[in-house]
Amino acid sequence: MRINRRIITAVLSCAVLFGTSASAQVNSGESIPDVTRTIVLTNARVVQAPGQIQERTNVIIRDGLITTIAPDAAIPFDALEIAADSFTVYAGFIDGLSHTGIPEPKEPPNRERPDDPAFPPDQQAGIQPQQDVRNLLDPEDKRIIAMREAGFTAAHVVPRGRMLPGVGAIILLAGDDANEMVYRGETALYAQLAGARRMYPGTDMAVLAKLRQLYREAARRQKIEQLYAANPAGLERPQYDPVLYAMFPVLDGDRPVFFNTESVLDLHRVLAVQQELGFPMVLTGLTQSFDAVDKLKSANLPLLLTLELPEEPEESEQEQPSDSTEAAPTDAAVELPQIEAPDYDADFRVSSLIDVAAEKENLEARREIAYKAHVGNARMLESEGLTFGFSTGSVKPGEALGNVRKMIKEGLSEDAALAALTTTPAQILGLTSSMGTVEEGKLGNLVVTKGSIFDEKAEIRYVFVDGRKYEIEPPRKRSSGNADASENPAGTWNLTISTPDGDIGGTLTIEGSGDDWSGSLSVEIEPGALPLEYIVLSGNELTFSFDVPNMGTVESSLILDRESLSGSFDVPGFGVATVSGTRTSDPEMSTQLQ
Amino acid sequence: MINAMKFKTLFLSAIFVFTGNCLAQVPTGDVLVRGGTVLTVTNGTLENTDVLIQNGIIAEVGENLSAPQGISVVDATGMYVMPGIIDAHSHIGISNVNESSAPVTAQVSVGDVLNPYSIAIYRALAGGVTSSHVMHGSANVIGGQNETIKHRWGLLDPDELRMADAPRTIKFALGENPTRVHGQGSNKRPASRMGVEYVLRETFAKAERYQEAWAQYEEEAKSNPRAISPAYNSQLEVMSDILTGDILIHCHSYRADEILMLLDVLEDFGVDHITFQHVNEGFKIAPELAEFGASASIFADWWAYKFEVYYLTAYNAAILTRNGVLTSINSDSGELNRHLYHEAAKSQKYGGLSDTEALSLITINPAKQLGIADRIGSIEVGKEGDIAIFDRHPLSIYAVNQKTIVDGLIYFDIERDADDMRLSVDPESPIETVVLHTHDDNHRCLHEGTLDLYDFLESNQ
Repeated sequence: MRINRRIITAVLSCAVLFGTSASAQVNSGESIPDVTRTIVLTNARVVQAPGQIQERTNVIIRDGLITTIAPDAAIPFDALEIAADSFTVYAGFIDGLSHTGIPEPKEPPNRERPDDPAFPPDQQAGIQPQQDVRNLLDPEDKRIIAMREAGFTAAHVVPRGRMLPGVGAIILLAGDDANEMVYRGETALYAQLAGARRMYPGTDMAVLAKLRQLYREAARRQKIEQLYAANPAGLERPQYDPVLYAMFPVLDGDRPVFFNTESVLDLHRVLAVQQELGFPMVLTGLTQSFDAVDKLKSANLPLLLTLELPEEPEESEQEQPSDSTEAAPTDAAVELPQIEAPDYDADFRVSSLIDVAAEKENLEARREIAYKAHVGNARMLESEGLTFGFSTGSVKPGEALGNVRKMIKEGLSEDAALAALTTTPAQILGLTSSMGTVEEGKLGNLVVTKGSIFDEKAEIRYVFVDGRKYEIEPPRKRSSGNADASENPAGTWNLTISTPDGDIGGTLTIEGSGDDWSGSLSVEIEPGALPLEYIVLSGNELTFSFDVPNMGTVESSLILDRESLSGSFDVPGFGVATVSGTRTSDPEMSTQLQ
Repeated sequence: MINAMKFKTLFLSAIFVFTGNCLAQVPTGDVLVRGGTVLTVTNGTLENTDVLIQNGIIAEVGENLSAPQGISVVDATGMYVMPGIIDAHSHIGISNVNESSAPVTAQVSVGDVLNPYSIAIYRALAGGVTSSHVMHGSANVIGGQNETIKHRWGLLDPDELRMADAPRTIKFALGENPTRVHGQGSNKRPASRMGVEYVLRETFAKAERYQEAWAQYEEEAKSNPRAISPAYNSQLEVMSDILTGDILIHCHSYRADEILMLLDVLEDFGVDHITFQHVNEGFKIAPELAEFGASASIFADWWAYKFEVYYLTAYNAAILTRNGVLTSINSDSGELNRHLYHEAAKSQKYGGLSDTEALSLITINPAKQLGIADRIGSIEVGKEGDIAIFDRHPLSIYAVNQKTIVDGLIYFDIERDADDMRLSVDPESPIETVVLHTHDDNHRCLHEGTLDLYDFLESNQ
């Protein structure tokens, strides 16, 4: 049976190579699927597009595509049925720009100084427009799963790097190998104002100068190529140059530059060079763009707003002197316009040292206003009539949706938020015919939630990518950890791990003190002790992770109560197992043992 | 952002009538400065005189001018009205200073990285400075291009800082900085003053060949549509513009011998315009500078911070001026620029320059060196409305600037000088209640250079 299957696989692979295969199988992860590729969601609330909702309808996904959306659609005989009465179905999110699927290099790239820092090799200087992200994809990258669990089904990914890291691709956030993930290649050239380290171009101004040089020389070389192609006679042979030739599609207007900006200053600089050279461009990042709305409007370019937000400032815990608020500005004659921030005095002046606490308070109020401006950036763009998609950049996947909710709290409309996650990136990336909405004939990319997606309490239950079903475990309940309690985990613990297949016994050993812990776990089913990583004790809550061969990284959270503990192990692909345990040796004993 | 909006409301619309986009889309204003002692610099001192600015341009200077209806009036009775101060050498308001990776970086420009949020711009206004010549650093023999800006604090588009149509300028540097950065730092040329001359001559020679190659191509292209152009070289494009006189050189220099060397090089390549910056030993070669027509932009009395700057005198400004060298006093600093009027006054203590000569060092003379003397640098009808109003004579040690006007708009008013005048706040920044000095206070000439100036000073103690 097994052998037969391999033969069939081999035959089919050859068929694919020679282009004679049935197309239905080409897209499949396996030649012959183990389970049905037909799934029906029954009685679901379907948000087909922002503002376009169908109540109580069936959605049928077959062979990777959405085939039917109808309230009375008959359930196919081979369908896996999911009762979706209490669920809402959205189009799978599309990430406008990120490095998902391209793991961060473990070691920083070559830090060696070139022979001549004035003329470094292009690659060392971060100038690689010929690099294709498809050659860098790693289906094992942990960010793929994390992004998928946050509702993202497709992503526009670009290589990591500095000034010109390379050419991007659209990938689906599912697949067993890199090629299977690729939806479309050669989407865009990625660019950023990121200079090389201690070599040319090192500064932003040099990156801009280098870009002009590359662009203008590429234009000249392209003209020579065309002359030579028309008639080589009498012309010196033009010499191939991978960097300059990779700019040709940009010069032709066929390949947009996705230019990242990390501040409003970047934005002005990038707009200036784009208007000077005239290449097709999508502006990405857009942090602080609330300060340049008029310029964005007149530029009239596609926009991708990052989901990264600044850390929320913490309120000072310092007690204010009681008289500090009475220290009024010395000059009352100054008229100031009202600012919608009751805590902030724009005309604040320190008259003496006793005002310092009041000044600090005022500066904190100002910082709070600045924070809100950043979170309100999306709302500002929307209210100015600017359409934008979201990109995740380097935001933590677990924070992506939370940050959208923060933006909504600051006034972004839910429809604009959903459009920025679905239809707008689809438009910007040229994917409207296959992604971005829940419509018949489109890819089976869906997010299924319990509750409205932008509700704080909403839970993503399923994500479908390319018709594949991924069941998402509800987020682990926040443990009842008590930050004020203090427990010492050091010692040895007997554990009982409850799984659907029965209880498993184990032994947990923790050593150390303060912030410095180490430990190991041995369980009945695995030979040898598994070393623990990232051990953190917070009050009475002990968290750590460990790698189980062939299973992945298990996240653990345990609440300690002197002689006993309880908590959970989050096992990827299996779910949450509850854990209980008792102490078999105490900290003193473990110290003595050393 | 809120503060920026506040600023615009406060200074632009609340006080002055907007006059629209008449000057390169930069806002301008109308104001009547009434009854001050007007130090015109080019036309003597006028007591009890009014200055009327309309649409950002000085429309009238005279006694008892009639105020156009609705115009904002500043009472300057008992005060001194002078042209806005011009700092001929500064590194404020830019995100990068040195592209120190190569000894020649003519293709880069600090004009590409202007930063209108830099608080140093506001602080310069507080010292009556209305324009700065913001320069590339001195790490390279031929550094990047500079930018002449006007201090329009509160306008958030970097383009609105630019002084539109001011001549292009470029930074050169001689002596220890380039030899240290590239010679000691990277073991590349130049490692000596001879090497500096070599780099200059080699680069100018390449630029000449580049010009010839393009001229030849353009000639051939007239008859041959398939003519192939020379490779585009953004660096040599800029060098060619220096050769044709379209870009003015401002050269960091200290010693007399290297200054004479550069004059020889420029003579050989037919370049007429040069302003030497710092030019500490200028007093030794003032006649030679005057004969060439070279200008000098100097520190009043700052020296001995490294070996090549030991030989200097505070009489430098007076000696250069008396020998007919067009001279200015600059700050090169986000701190010193706040009291350039003190620096100018030092030329009276050391060398006895007249009031007008001393004020010229920080107004009309730097304007001439930057090629903008037809627009700013003195109080004359037809010039741009850039003015500083002091409570005492600006050459008095007790003088305090009260208001600074740019294009007819008040951008600094001591009465409206709240503690926190920043235009933007990083929401992740810590709140520090005590700030004794900032980054901008430091002399930034070698900022981002491979070797830090201060490291160097430490290591040479």
